[in-house]
Amino acid sequence: MILSGPEIRRQVENDVITVTPFEPEHLNPNSIDLTLEDTVLRYCNPVIDPREEQEVQEVKIPSTGLQLEPLGFCLGSSRETVGSAEFVPMVHAKSSTARAGLFVHVTADLIDIGSVGTVTFQLFSTLPLTVYPGMRIAQMTFWRPQGEIILYSGKYQGSKGPRKSMIFRDPFWQSLPVHG
Amino acid sequence: MILTGAAITRAVAAGDIVIDPFATERVNPNSYNYRLGHEIHEVVMEGEGQPEASHVRLAPDGGRYLLRKGRFYLGHTLERIGSAHYVTSLIGRSSIGRLGLFVQLSANLGHQGAVHRWTLELLPALDIYVYPGQVIGQVSFWNIQGAPAPYAGWYGRHDRPMPSKLHQPSAEPPRASQPLTRTGESQ
Repeated sequence: MILSGPEIRRQVENDVITVTPFEPEHLNPNSIDLTLEDTVLRYCNPVIDPREEQEVQEVKIPSTGLQLEPLGFCLGSSRETVGSAEFVPMVHAKSSTARAGLFVHVTADLIDIGSVGTVTFQLFSTLPLTVYPGMRIAQMTFWRPQGEIILYSGKYQGSKGPRKSMIFRDPFWQSLPVHG
Repeated sequence: MILTGAAITRAVAAGDIVIDPFATERVNPNSYNYRLGHEIHEVVMEGEGQPEASHVRLAPDGGRYLLRKGRFYLGHTLERIGSAHYVTSLIGRSSIGRLGLFVQLSANLGHQGAVHRWTLELLPALDIYVYPGQVIGQVSFWNIQGAPAPYAGWYGRHDRPMPSKLHQPSAEPPRASQPLTRTGESQ
């Protein structure tokens, strides 16, 4: 089951859901809006090898805005720190964002229960779109789980600002043959 | 309601969810990590006027594939996944989304009852290497309300990347009922 906006507010006030800072006017009927932090990351390598740590370049979004390239990709983040130990969060674009041709995640909407931090937005723009710090770009829903809860303790816990992929640290690579 | 990792593990043990092969180290707090299968095809539109899709199987280079941004590929999950009791949602994982690789194009919802290797719609926003056998996405499982309908679909009977039958009028299209091959290539 999905929480209503008033229920999200109640759970924030009861410290069961974290949304910090919390702005009641960002509540929607079934979600709460997330705003864009002023930092984006771009990968430096022309070809990504997920087995290797990737260098990124940090760019500040000026108050006058940053134009995203058509079919360009970069990482942004929410200003808000979000999470819950009882509900499963999911991230979605606001429909206004999507109507402007911008993805805020790249097929990764589901957040682990127990994860607390800023949300890294996977910004894929289909048009030359200008984004601004603080704009309401995304929204978060909260879902009641069924079953015993084991909290997230993974590599993105406690994120502040956008975090690049840390997949190169995953232990499963050891079971795959090395290239070459 | 969405199942927690512990509930997914219990449902797999009870036979209510199929994840084959299954490993407890790939269980997340509220999802399960699936891996990339060994067969990837680039979908190429060819011809003037009304181009038709052809599917070119990629050749691995030293155990990996190079996916180019702006191109579109079909792959598949290594695992057979599905459930007659729960609804499966197939998505990526944030470690892959953070690298700009879509693994599915706004079609996360699986039909209850379909158990198979799922076709992945791979759209890279950056040039990226992928490795068969690597963890590439997640599935979550959801409770239903109401009587379940029996699944009688077509895609759900296949364990290899299956092409779109969007432009095939019949339920059993002769061309698309074959797994993907390079145009003119024999199986």
